Amino acid sequence: MSSSVDKSVREKCISILREKFSEIVKRIVEGKRPVLVMPKRVLTNTIYDEKNKLLLLGPEMQRRSFLDVNESRKFMQTLLMASIIYDALANDEYPTIRDLYYRGKHTITYRDLHGRIHRENTWDEQRESDSVIRDLEVYLGLLREELLILSKEKGKVVGNLVIKSGDDVIDLSRMGHGAYAIEPTPDLIEFVDVDAEYVLVVEKDAVFQQLHRYGFWKKHKAILVTSAGQPDRATRRFVRRLNEELKLPVYILTDSDPYGFYIYSVFKIGSITLSYESTRLAVPSAKFIGVMMTDVFGDEAFRKLARKANLKNVFKDAINKLPQKKPYLSESERKNYVIKAKPKDVERAVELVGYSLALACLEDREIKSKIRKKEGLTGYPWFHTPEWMRELCIFFNTLSKLEIEAMASKGLRFLADKYIPEKIETHDYID
Amino acid sequence: MSVIDNEKYTAISPAEFFLRYREIAGFANPARALYQAVRELVENALDATDAHGILPSIKVVIRKADPIQDFYKVTVEDNGIGLPPHIVPEAFGRVLFSSKYVLRQTRGMFGLGVKVAALYAQMTTGKPIEVITSKPNLKFIYYFKLRIDVHKNEPVVLEKGSWRKTRNWHGTVVSLTLEGDWSRARSKILEYIARTAVATPYANIVLVTPDNEIVYYERVVNKLPKPPKEVKPHPHGIDLETLKKIINSTSYKTVYDLLVKNFQSIGEVTAKAVLKQAEIPSSINPKKLGETELLRLVETMKNYKKYKPPKADALSPLSSEIIVAGLKRMYNPEFVEAVTRRPSTYHGYPFIVEVGIAYGGNTPLSDKDKPVLLRYANKIPLLYDEGSDVITSVVKEDIAWSNYLVELPAPILVLVHICSTKVPFKGVGKESIADVPEVRREVKLGILEVARRLRRYLAKKIKEEEIRKKIVSIAKYIPEVVRALTIISDGPGVSREELEEKLVNIIVARTGLSSTDIKRVIDSVEIGA
Repeated sequence: MSSSVDKSVREKCISILREKFSEIVKRIVEGKRPVLVMPKRVLTNTIYDEKNKLLLLGPEMQRRSFLDVNESRKFMQTLLMASIIYDALANDEYPTIRDLYYRGKHTITYRDLHGRIHRENTWDEQRESDSVIRDLEVYLGLLREELLILSKEKGKVVGNLVIKSGDDVIDLSRMGHGAYAIEPTPDLIEFVDVDAEYVLVVEKDAVFQQLHRYGFWKKHKAILVTSAGQPDRATRRFVRRLNEELKLPVYILTDSDPYGFYIYSVFKIGSITLSYESTRLAVPSAKFIGVMMTDVFGDEAFRKLARKANLKNVFKDAINKLPQKKPYLSESERKNYVIKAKPKDVERAVELVGYSLALACLEDREIKSKIRKKEGLTGYPWFHTPEWMRELCIFFNTLSKLEIEAMASKGLRFLADKYIPEKIETHDYID
Repeated sequence: MSVIDNEKYTAISPAEFFLRYREIAGFANPARALYQAVRELVENALDATDAHGILPSIKVVIRKADPIQDFYKVTVEDNGIGLPPHIVPEAFGRVLFSSKYVLRQTRGMFGLGVKVAALYAQMTTGKPIEVITSKPNLKFIYYFKLRIDVHKNEPVVLEKGSWRKTRNWHGTVVSLTLEGDWSRARSKILEYIARTAVATPYANIVLVTPDNEIVYYERVVNKLPKPPKEVKPHPHGIDLETLKKIINSTSYKTVYDLLVKNFQSIGEVTAKAVLKQAEIPSSINPKKLGETELLRLVETMKNYKKYKPPKADALSPLSSEIIVAGLKRMYNPEFVEAVTRRPSTYHGYPFIVEVGIAYGGNTPLSDKDKPVLLRYANKIPLLYDEGSDVITSVVKEDIAWSNYLVELPAPILVLVHICSTKVPFKGVGKESIADVPEVRREVKLGILEVARRLRRYLAKKIKEEEIRKKIVSIAKYIPEVVRALTIISDGPGVSREELEEKLVNIIVARTGLSSTDIKRVIDSVEIGA
C-alpha cells in the first residue's frame, strides 16, 4: 500500500507531465514542429556561484527538435522515458532507474528506402537512459525523487532523531548495531524530534560502524551519517535537510586524498553532472574536518617550501595568515599509516587545483613528466583558497595519502574522543 | 678464303617474308596465333557487313581439329556482301592483294592479316584454307579449297565448286586449321569478343569454343554507324609511290587537272600555287614528269601550308548512341553517357575521338589509379600494351577523378574510340596509341565532357541519398514518439493516426521530404519487446 504522502506527489507529477506533453501535442496539431526546450545540461553551462558558493546550471537553453536529424533519436528517447515514468506513476509503481532502463529498452526494426532491414535499440546502455532521466528532470522541473523513481541508495544514519517515513514513526537512536538506510525519496521524510548538536558525515562505512558501536553519537550529541563512498542524491538531500531545517552544523570526514577532498566539495557546493540540483542538495556551510594533510604532516615543511619556491607569488601574504598546524601523527606513526599516492591520485589532484601548483610543489621528476598531459588545467575555482592549496601542495610534495581508518588504528578513542571533538572545538577545519 | 664471295643475295616473295617475320603480324606462338587468327577473321567479317549497310550476324566456331596434336579449326561466318568468285583465290592466296588501297577507315589496313593467318595455318598443319561465299545478287554459292605457293606468292586452288542458292543467302565463311593453344588463348579470345561486342551492339555475335561453351551477344540496336565514304587523298599524306599509281590510272592530260580532280582540298588557286612553288608548268602531261620532278612535286605537296583541313567523310565513328547501347548491353550500368567529338586533324590526317563512361551496375571495379579502360582504334579493341597508350596516361595524369566525385577504386569504365584514316599507333604491334599532342588533347576533352555529366549524376545521387537517410533517421522514430505522446496526453482526444498524419505533414512542410517515403518507412517499423 502506498502512503498518503506518495499519493499526492503522484497526482502532482502526473498533472505536470500531462501539461508539458499536451503542449507538444498541441503544437503538432497546430502544424508547428515538435520541440523540447530545456536548460542545457553541459559543463560549459555549469556556473560556480562565488557568492552563494554553489555549482549552478547556467542560463543557456537547448531546443531539442524532432526534425533535426542529430536530435531526433534523443527526442524519441525523451518521450519514450516520459511515457514509462507516466505509466509507473499512474500504476502506483516505484521503478528504479535500472527498471526504467529495462522497460524502455526495445528494438525498433525498420526498412530503409533501399528495402534493407535495420535494427536499432531505443537505448543500449543504462548511461543513455540515465541521461534522458536527467533531461526530463530539468525539462519538467521535477526531481527524480519527486517522480518516485528509486535508485540504490547507500547512505545510513543513526542518532537522536525521530522521523516519520511513510506512515511509520522511526527512532534513529534505537537501531541496535544497525542503522537507518536513508530512503531514495528523503523529501517525504518528516522530522518529528531531534536532540543533537551537529551532523558528522563519514565517507567510509567501516569507520561509521566503529564510531556507532563506540557510542560516539550518544557521547557527543551528534547525528552520524555515512555516504559509503561517493554520496548519492538521497544522502546529500537528507544531510541538506538536517542542516537547513534542523539548523545543525555539518562536518565532513573523508580520507586524506584528492578523492576525499572532492567528496567534501560535492556535499558542500554540488557536482557538475547534477548542477541543476545543487540548490536542493548542497550544504554550503559544510565544513571539512579532516583528515587534512596538515593533520598528518603539520605545516613546517610546507612553510619552508613556500619560502624558497616560486610559491611565494602564488600565496603572497596569504600564507602568513594561515594558522600554524602541528601534526597529530608522530614520525613513526606516519611511517606506519601513510600510503604512497598513485599517479591517478596525482592526476585527480591536478584536476582539483590546477597544473601550476602541482608543478611548483612536485619534486618527483617521474611524476612531473607523467602529469605533463594535464598542462593548462586551471582546476576548480572553489579549491583555489589558501587552505586547500596548502593541503594539495603538501600532497604533491609528499605524494602521500592517508585513510581515515589509520586514525582509528591509532586508537578508536583517539579518533572519537580527541581528534574529532578537538578539531570541532578549536575550529580546526576548512570552511 | 673469302667469305664475302659466298654470300648469296636472294629475293624473297612477300609471302615468304611474312612467314619469316610472323611475329610482326602477331603470330609469335600458338596461343597468340589462335587469338590473332580469330581477330583477323572477325574483323574482315565486320568490314564485310557494317561498312556496307548490313546489320552483322557473325558466328565464330573454334573446334579441336586433331585428337592428338593441338590443331584447331577456326571458322568465321558472316552475312556480308561476299566476294566475287573470281577474286577469291587472289584475296586469300596472294599477299598484298587487297581491296583496301582506297582511303577510307576500315578495321584491317591492307587485308594482310588474314593472309598471314592462312600462311601460318598452312605452315603448322598443312591443311588448306576453305572459303564459301556469295554476293547478294548472285544465284550461286561458291566453294574453294586453297593453299598458297609461298615461293611464287601465288594461290593454288585445290578444290572448287558451286551450287545454286535455295534462299537469298549472302556472306562469307572462312575456315583455317592451325596449331594453337586454346587453354592459354581462351581468356584473351573471350575478352576480345566481349570488347568487340561492346563496340557493335548492332551485331549478333556467337562464339562456340572448343569447350562447347556458347557465348552469345544479341543485337540491341538496329542502327549502324555511318559507313565511311571513299575520299580522294589529301595532299599532306601523299608519297611518291601513291602519286605514281594515281598518275598511271588517271586520264587527265595536265598535271594541273590531275591535282584538282584527284585530290581533296586542292582547288584551282591551290593547284596553281603548288605547281608554281614546285616549278612545274601547269599544262605538262603528268605521265611525262621525270623522277626528280615527281619528287619535287611530292615534297611541295607535303609541305604546302594553306590547304583546307582533310575531310572527315572517310571516317566512321560509332556514334554516342551505339556506344551507350553497347555499354548498356554489356554492363547494365546505372550511369552511361557517350560523346562523339568533332573531327580534328594531326599531320594532315583526319581523326575523331569518341568517349563513353559507364558507372555502377555490373561495371567491374577499377584499379586504384585509373578507371577500367576500353580502348578502340577504328572499332578494333586494343587489348595489349595498355600501359604505354596515350589514353592511359590521360586518364591517369590529366584527369583528377576525385573532382568528378569518383573515389577510385570505383565501378567505373572509360571507353575511348579513336578513328582515323591513319591511326597513330605506337610501334608495329598496333596495340597502343602514340602520344600525339592533337590526339591527346581530344581524348582529354572528350573524357572531361562525359566526366562532367557523370559528376552531375553522382552529385544528384549523393544528395538524394542524404535526403533518403534524413527521411529514414526521422521517420523510424515516429511510431514510438506518437505512442508515447498518446500515453501521456490522453486529454485532447487526438488519435494516434491523426497525430501521425500531422507529424508527417509537418515534416513534409518543413523539410521538403517526400510524404510517401516517410510513410513507407513508418509502415516498415516494428517495435520489438
